[in-house]
Amino acid sequence: MVSLAHRGVLFMDELPECNRDVIEILRQPIEDKKVSIARASGSFTYPADFIFLGAMNPCPCGYFPDQSKCSCSAKDVKRYLSRISGPILDRIDICAEVPRTTIESLNQAKSGTSSGLMRKQVKIARDIQKARYKNTLYHFNADIAVKDISIFCHLEKNEAALMAEIFEEMNLSLRSYHRVLKVARTIADLDESENIKEKHLLEAAHFRLSEGRYWQ
Amino acid sequence: MKEDMKYLYWLNSVEGIGFKAMMVLKKYVGSGSDIYHTPEHDLRWFLNERQLTALVNRRKEWDVDGEFEKLKQEKIAFYPYGSPGYPEKLLSLPSPPAALYLKGSFPDANTPAVALIGTRKCSGYGSAMAKQLGALLAERGIVVVSGMARGIDGIGQRAVCGAGGATYAVLGCGVDVVYPPENRQLYEQIERQGEQGGIISEYQPGTPPNAGQFPARNRIISGLSDAVVVIEAKEKSGTMITVDMALEQGREVYAMPGRLVDGLSCGCNRLIKQGAGMIISIEEFVDEILQASKLRLANEIKELKKKAPPAPKATTKEEKLILNFTAEEKQVFSCLDYAPRSLEQISAMNPQISYESLLRILVTFCLRGFAKQMGAGSYYKSDDI
Repeated sequence: MVSLAHRGVLFMDELPECNRDVIEILRQPIEDKKVSIARASGSFTYPADFIFLGAMNPCPCGYFPDQSKCSCSAKDVKRYLSRISGPILDRIDICAEVPRTTIESLNQAKSGTSSGLMRKQVKIARDIQKARYKNTLYHFNADIAVKDISIFCHLEKNEAALMAEIFEEMNLSLRSYHRVLKVARTIADLDESENIKEKHLLEAAHFRLSEGRYWQ
Repeated sequence: MKEDMKYLYWLNSVEGIGFKAMMVLKKYVGSGSDIYHTPEHDLRWFLNERQLTALVNRRKEWDVDGEFEKLKQEKIAFYPYGSPGYPEKLLSLPSPPAALYLKGSFPDANTPAVALIGTRKCSGYGSAMAKQLGALLAERGIVVVSGMARGIDGIGQRAVCGAGGATYAVLGCGVDVVYPPENRQLYEQIERQGEQGGIISEYQPGTPPNAGQFPARNRIISGLSDAVVVIEAKEKSGTMITVDMALEQGREVYAMPGRLVDGLSCGCNRLIKQGAGMIISIEEFVDEILQASKLRLANEIKELKKKAPPAPKATTKEEKLILNFTAEEKQVFSCLDYAPRSLEQISAMNPQISYESLLRILVTFCLRGFAKQMGAGSYYKSDDI
């Protein structure tokens, strides 16, 4: 099935409601962009280069961490959140929480970026990337292999020091360290900035969700 | 007496024989050894059918010497009711534990003891208060008793350990069973403290944590303390059971007030309405406890205070911290609360600060430990400052 999403988007709604095995099996395709299937007649490898998207509630009732409304026990919440294991979370670049919308904000005029403008920005960023990876095997920032990260995601002295701090304080794994760098590269591209600046790194760090960030 | 311990341990292991049955047997039959050696038909006057069968069966399957030896090897001390060393404060409870198992030591009867209790699922406010209160109590030499549960209990006790104070955990399972498992570190820390802490239970070693045992152990928590402090509790909760027991035992009850809209503070606010002591300042509360305890101790502290130069008008850590902030940072920091706020909410409170610099300030706060991120994109004030 994951091979069907090759070069596309794999979206899994209500991620924790999926079987744990199903979620865990995504580790290989997310990391290697291919999926291996072993059967009695042999082992096959299919391409599986997709953008992985998932959506979930913070707890079975959906209100956590609003203690006055949430009716789940601490154990329930923990069990629910732990269905997304650390290694899977490690492979997810951008995590964002969507708070409950209020009726006032619905009625207010929208002030955010419109989809049309967003499209233009993304187009520019993609052109930048196209130019950057002209004579390489890569297409997007996400493709960069570990050995080439220092070339394409070059950091100046200040930024390197900040990144070292982020690595220490957020207890990043080596994998997520590289992923933060690649996300920062993309944010910089969207900003049409040649170099990755501090603000890009900080924004990338903001989007990384480490395990255990919910209250005990 | 020492010889008799192994028999009393056997008697305590018999299912269905609690404090009352034990007292009856002691009064009419005699020592543990006597009870062990009395034939079945003589015991039936004092026990009901079920108890008698359990006792007779236990006699067959229990290796009196071997089991007691095992207890010793695991460094678990055994204190039947009334034996030397059994905590004085528990002797007068309405239904005292028939026996206690102990790793470490019991709290000293002359040192004031406070029970820190609250919900298992606490908010950032609750956890910050538990930490501060635990640390200050430890600093002033007041003993903290709690249940080592998730949430307030564990957080408070960890703070006490961190500040080098004495803390005692009363468990609802055997003393050798670590429950909840995430508090293993705390368990080991208390275990290491030896004289300065203890793990206490009325259940036999190896007893698994059963829900029914937890309300009962709460009477020991309040029993061992002079005052009970409720930090956060819903209106109907295990914490409230502890409070009822504390009142029954004649212990002082204090509660920490909270906002009306906060479900986790409803229980506390209700207690205050009913006449519990209200904590409006942690310092003040600790002083009150010291005052109420033996005058001797209070005097000693006063002496110490006299010697020490008067502290400059209490600048909290937080106030010091803010001095070094830029104007923008100050503004963002003042928008943080112990309850998490999403980036959108914080942004709405500071419309003049750009999204970019807001993000930069918040993430820098996290890196420096002033704030913490919860979930994806909500921030709250760190409870460590």
